[in-house]
Amino acid sequence: MQSKLSDIELIEQTLAGNQFAYADLVKRHQRFVFTLAMRFAKGREDAEEIAQDCFVKAYRSLASFQGQSKFSTWLYSIVYTTAMTFLRKKRVDTDSIDDEGTFVQVESHESAYDTNNVENKSRSYYLNQAIEQLLPDDATIITMFYKGEQSLEEIAQTMGIETNTVKVKLFRARQRLKEKLERNLKHEVKELI
Amino acid sequence: MNTIEEKLWNYIDGTCTPAEQEAIARLIETDEVYKQKYTELLVLNQEFASMELDEPSMAFSYNVMEAIRAEQLVPLKSTINKKIILSIAAFFVLSILALLIVILSNVKISGNLFSGLDVKLPASLKLPSASSIFNSTLMKSFFVFDVILALFLTDSYLRRKKAAKEA
Repeated sequence: MQSKLSDIELIEQTLAGNQFAYADLVKRHQRFVFTLAMRFAKGREDAEEIAQDCFVKAYRSLASFQGQSKFSTWLYSIVYTTAMTFLRKKRVDTDSIDDEGTFVQVESHESAYDTNNVENKSRSYYLNQAIEQLLPDDATIITMFYKGEQSLEEIAQTMGIETNTVKVKLFRARQRLKEKLERNLKHEVKELI
Repeated sequence: MNTIEEKLWNYIDGTCTPAEQEAIARLIETDEVYKQKYTELLVLNQEFASMELDEPSMAFSYNVMEAIRAEQLVPLKSTINKKIILSIAAFFVLSILALLIVILSNVKISGNLFSGLDVKLPASLKLPSASSIFNSTLMKSFFVFDVILALFLTDSYLRRKKAAKEA
């Protein structure tokens, strides 16, 4: 069972030496942090590693959290920075078309065709599939806006860009997501016929 | 210039001015193109909002706490112990005082600057000579301790700096 205390109260308890309070904070935010990590990593193992790393980093610098923004905004900025570093490192490591991310993406497409049954697949399945095909930045903005309870200003703070830029990026990301969603659904129908 | 879609998204998100809001609401009511697009975007908006979050493994929070315990991490605030700072300060103050006493006891003032002043230490008081102090094992171990302390403090400072940078 999760704690009813606010994030700030849990942070105060953690700083006073109560590690269980931090475990509660982790439980409260783990799903969203993991989802954000998935937007960059495209693989569960890597995403778990990124998410875990983020919570450890957040714990280390918890005292520097001033409470001027929401804890979630502060935490997501750590996730964004860590995930970007991960992505950069991965690009340097592979730097080829045989990139693991590409492979995972292709694999997920194939597995989708294997279980080729439109009736059994919910709309959310197609939505998640379309999100996976977006660029990490687009997927992150969409996720933060719809699921992270973050305003455009807070997303701008997390990503270190201007609010207007976020607005434009969100608009474009929605357009791309809509296109991908339509294309995937069209493809599935074609496969059935 | 904003496209219809862009205007409607701003209207749905509530990021436009009250005047724009009013104008768009009127257009949705009167213009069929706006109305159709608005309905389409509303459905899309609901769909986007219904996206599901991914679930990490069952042991995720346990693994995080284990990683914290394994590294014996503590949030930076609790590492700043005032007693440690005070004892380090006291150590340095005492060291400086001891050095000052030794130096002053070995200073010989010549000339007639203080000719009128006749200060004499009591005969019973015997101050140690500086050379014997600096050659003694006690002084050498004192310096070694100082060096180790300096290394230790530099090391902890660099560790904290690195941790802050990583975060």
